[in-house]
Amino acid sequence: MATMQNAYPAESFRVIHPLEDAPEAKRQSAGLGPIEMTLPVRVSLIVLRAYLLAMGLMLIEHVLDLAGVLHRIH
Amino acid sequence: MQTTRIDAATAQPEKNAGIVVRRRWQHSLLTFLMVFGPGLIVMEADNDAGAVSTYVQAGGQYGLHLLWLLLLLLPITYFVQEMVVRLGIATGKGHAAMIYERFGKWWGRFSLIDLLVVNFLTLITEFAAIALALGAMGVAPLIAVPVAAAGLILMVLSGSYLRWERTVIVLCLLDLAWFFLAARLHPQWSAVAFNTAVPHLPPGRVTGDLVFLIIAIVGTTIAPWQLFFQQSCVAEKRLRFADLKWARLDTLIGATFTVLVAGAMMIVGDAGYRHGIAFADPAQMALALTPVAGRAVRNGILLLMVNAAVLGTTAISLASAWAYGEVRGWPHSLHKKFWEAPGFYAVYVGCVGLAAAIVLVPHMPLQLVILSVQVFAGLVLPSAIILLQLLLNDRALLGSQWVNRPWNNWLNWTIIAVLFALSLLLAAQVMLPQLFS
Repeated sequence: MATMQNAYPAESFRVIHPLEDAPEAKRQSAGLGPIEMTLPVRVSLIVLRAYLLAMGLMLIEHVLDLAGVLHRIH
Repeated sequence: MQTTRIDAATAQPEKNAGIVVRRRWQHSLLTFLMVFGPGLIVMEADNDAGAVSTYVQAGGQYGLHLLWLLLLLLPITYFVQEMVVRLGIATGKGHAAMIYERFGKWWGRFSLIDLLVVNFLTLITEFAAIALALGAMGVAPLIAVPVAAAGLILMVLSGSYLRWERTVIVLCLLDLAWFFLAARLHPQWSAVAFNTAVPHLPPGRVTGDLVFLIIAIVGTTIAPWQLFFQQSCVAEKRLRFADLKWARLDTLIGATFTVLVAGAMMIVGDAGYRHGIAFADPAQMALALTPVAGRAVRNGILLLMVNAAVLGTTAISLASAWAYGEVRGWPHSLHKKFWEAPGFYAVYVGCVGLAAAIVLVPHMPLQLVILSVQVFAGLVLPSAIILLQLLLNDRALLGSQWVNRPWNNWLNWTIIAVLFALSLLLAAQVMLPQLFS
């Protein structure tokens, strides 16, 4: 009887759960300090601050309105 | 920047760790199954009580006309969360920790405090939904809420991340029942297909309510806590660089599943629209649908509402506990026992316990809480997402391999601009309603 043989060595793969695997080298952030203030970073943070300021003012206006302060002023 | 191996001298996988398989596809499948979890959980937990209410309301007010919006949100939610996955795998750290390290204390504290406040307010709405749904089934809030809170606390106290993850995945899969409910209500499938594929506005003029609902759907589908949660979850699960493609697939499956479930919720709401049932919340709709759809559908909607609230609560509380633990430098891991990470568990238990207690206070102004959630979410989402985008362009941190590609940046800046505008519009509508009247 003919026996079929695999021409290649038998391969096997080991699957290891991430929690059981050796800790992996990660990108290190320690000692890097704050992010470099490039133009896009600077502009983004300025826009974000402006947005938060606008939201803050809207919130204050709303609270004053609810408290009846604005009504009294008008 | 140097890339160094953590514990490189000693850290080795156990000699017989893992499973040996003979085929490459078996290797791929098993690896995927091992990585699978955070993506599905973060997406499906976002279909929380508030989301159920929003989607069902959208169906109840406008029928199937807003289904297309969900399809549009699928790529948006995927691409935002993909950045978080990449950052989490590359650094092995949570989002709050990264903001502190790279943007300093001001942005770190602002993001953290805003996140904790919006999360806590959201938790109150989750417990309010539990009280509402179980109340409609005849269970008194004084029993329903403490029992739910106790169950939610027990879920994390086992000292095993995997046990928590598997429990939550089962809860996520329970949401498959939304498809059953949608089918039981006999929607017009041709209308479902048309309204999903063709973007259009409901008939009639564009009202402030419609604009508000559209923004609410977008805001519900992309929530700030998701960014913090998934990055911490990826770090907690110690996903490796090689796992990135599987983590992306997990996130894509999660996003797709979540959008499909959200669509099913809208179809359920559409039953109210077709039968002319007016309702203020899903529990009310479930009760009103009983004569038309039967008790099974009624109980199904109510129980799924509870499931949504439970999923949302555990994920949101964990997002807070992880973020706070990272920033304070406390041990913050579900792998640890309660006494090994007391601060981390105290934040989780405190959030759950306090939110549950507040819901039991008579005449609690729930409407004010919901409005505050929308305002704080409007503050925290644009900030968190901008800082995320900047971190993903931080070559000093990530090196050239993990930073955004130019197409990533174009896409993500577009998404951010849209979210910014919608958040501003939402906040303006909540705080200055006279502008839209």
